[in-house]
Amino acid sequence: MSALCYLGFTGLLTALRERVTLFWTLLFPVLLFVLLSSIFGQVGEQGALRLNVAFVNLDRGADTGFAMAVETLFESLSVEGEDGRPPVFTLHRPVSDADPRRFLEDEQRALAYGRRAAVVVVPEGFSQEIGGALRRPGELAGKLHVHYSQGVPSSELAAGVIDQMLAELDRALLAQAGRFDEDLAVRTAIQWAGSEGHNVGYIDFLLPGVVLMAFFTTGLFGVPGAILYARDQRILRRYWVTPLSIPRYLAGFGLTILGMCVLQLTVLWPLGRFALGARVSFAAAWPAAYLALAAVTFLSFGFLVASLAKTANAGQAIANIINMPMLFLSGVFFPVADLPSVLQAMVYANPLTYLVDGLRTSLGVGAGQFAPWLTLAVPLGWISVSAVVTSRRLHWDVGR
Amino acid sequence: MNPHEDALLSVHELAKAYGSVQAVKDVSFFVRRGSVFTLLGPNGAGKTTTLEILEGIRPADAGTIELFGERTQHISSDLKQRMGVLLQDSNFEPYLKVREVVALFASFFRRSLPVDEILEKVSLTEKAGALVRTLSGGQKQRLAVGVALINDPELVFLDEPTTGLDPQARRNLWRIFQTLQYAGKTLILTTHYMEEAEVLSNHVCIMDHGAIIAEGSPAELAEALGQATIIEFRAEELPAEAGEDLARRFPDLKRRRRSIILNTRDFTGGMEELLRWSREHAFLLHNLNVRQPNLEDVFLSLTGRRLRE
Ligand SMILES: Nc1ncnc2c1ncn2[C@@H]1O[C@H](COP(=O)(O)OP(=O)(O)O)[C@@H](O)[C@H]1O
Ligand SMILES: [Mg+2]
Repeated sequence: MSALCYLGFTGLLTALRERVTLFWTLLFPVLLFVLLSSIFGQVGEQGALRLNVAFVNLDRGADTGFAMAVETLFESLSVEGEDGRPPVFTLHRPVSDADPRRFLEDEQRALAYGRRAAVVVVPEGFSQEIGGALRRPGELAGKLHVHYSQGVPSSELAAGVIDQMLAELDRALLAQAGRFDEDLAVRTAIQWAGSEGHNVGYIDFLLPGVVLMAFFTTGLFGVPGAILYARDQRILRRYWVTPLSIPRYLAGFGLTILGMCVLQLTVLWPLGRFALGARVSFAAAWPAAYLALAAVTFLSFGFLVASLAKTANAGQAIANIINMPMLFLSGVFFPVADLPSVLQAMVYANPLTYLVDGLRTSLGVGAGQFAPWLTLAVPLGWISVSAVVTSRRLHWDVGR
Repeated sequence: MNPHEDALLSVHELAKAYGSVQAVKDVSFFVRRGSVFTLLGPNGAGKTTTLEILEGIRPADAGTIELFGERTQHISSDLKQRMGVLLQDSNFEPYLKVREVVALFASFFRRSLPVDEILEKVSLTEKAGALVRTLSGGQKQRLAVGVALINDPELVFLDEPTTGLDPQARRNLWRIFQTLQYAGKTLILTTHYMEEAEVLSNHVCIMDHGAIIAEGSPAELAEALGQATIIEFRAEELPAEAGEDLARRFPDLKRRRRSIILNTRDFTGGMEELLRWSREHAFLLHNLNVRQPNLEDVFLSLTGRRLRE
């Protein structure tokens, strides 16, 4: 076997025999994937998004028609539509003889703990107020109370959906009161993202993110972990007294990282597809190209970190410090929005942001926030910067 | 005729400094094909630095090297194809198996011996499937020797190959090195064990503070002290007056922390003198030891210090 293949192969063996590496590169992404998908993705429902929403009707007056109409609307969205549209909500309502106020308190607590995406309350006298408003034009109509947790993705999502539902309801009411000409209005409906007309669930959004996270971990921790360790332990020095050159060693190491990424993909993709119901496929030119670009970007990023560290321990420390911020400020797990400008700058400098955007777009599960050329250019820029810094700063032996 | 004609390696006025520390100064020597050449010296003498320059992992500040008949500044990968190296302290990937390590190194060379043959040679056949991290110190060192021999090299560098090993493990390695010598390999060895230098070498260079201070075969070096006899005895609580008297009688006496070493050409006369002195000062001669000089004594007489202190 050639030195290149043998280096690549033994590197992979070393990584797989080390429990810590095995945990972070394979087990952790799997656990996180399953965890996130079960929290936000409702496993077992073809990966479609389903939001837990509590509905409490406190309107107990004589005329409760409008309150009933709202409740019916929510109900209709919690069952499968005639066109096969999956339900949006899992609706939680008080059982008939329960005290609705007690129930409301419990549900608000559930919201605080993240078990509910939103709590919708129809206040007392809601129907009467609407009825009155319809008769007296210009007046504020009855208010529906929607509780949600700001910043929690599922909750934000639920609030958005409810907002649209109520706009629809509003229009229906106005039309009924003769103040809205339905024929002149542009019809809006709840619109799902996605390119092929299918519903994009959180799993499809999550899978490319988790795959990139796994690649990222491999590059960021793998390079300082393996190369600096081997250097500091004088394992590398032993190579340099043989005909093996640094470029050839590097190529072999690149093969190890690539092999690791392939392994991660072969674990995560089938898991997403067969166990969690993801429908995206990486087996196409552009997704594959983005995955390859990501692997190379993170490999070079690992070298950048290694170049900035004196020892293997320092390299691990730097990797630890930048790992989480880089993951969370990239939209790997959740779409990022409404961040302070400092953090926003970090989002826009982060190669992960562009790779995850480009990959999702190529998979048809993202709207494409950035121009395609940008999603290629920024990672390529990072690769060149890393290459320059590495060639100038990385030492290949101790004590020189 | 050129006296260096059969030299596999010759080094001329090699020098290397680390900042203000002159680790190697104007070192010149040549190594005959098929011989065991030893750099003997205490820690910090500059042995490793000299070898690292020759192995191609450290550039020299000055000097010339002629290796395999080729004059060179830079040890090219072609030259490395023909050398084997045992570094003073290097390691292998702890999570690889012994067989995998040897095979990995085999892949770096154009020509290599079968992995099993190497494992056999260094008695690691039974450990072929063991992870490097589970090996003992002696086994690790044998693996390092095996790896150094994977390309069937003409020239083998062995930098302090037995330091820190127990006597049994040391003797095992000596046996391997002797086999190599019989097979016609050229060995360049460094050590601070004079016994090792004496057992293995054809030619010894004694190195101290970066310079070679004496060279020759072990016998030649010992002979340079003259047909002397070494008399050594314990003298921990020697009264000052008795000490002065002894120094008067034996002008080239060497005082160590625990003992006194006398060097005499006239053994009978010397012994008589010593016994007289012992009686006059009522000083008992403990651990009296009479022997022929060895490399340790050569080093002591050259530097006034022992090799290992
Ligand atoms: N990388 C280095 N940086 C600075 N000084 C060094 C370095 N390596 C060795 N030295 C110094 O150079 C001298 C010779 O060291 P070395 O060649 O290792 O000697 P030896 O192998 O004979 O013990 C010592 O004084 C040592 O402290
Ligand atoms: Mg040394």
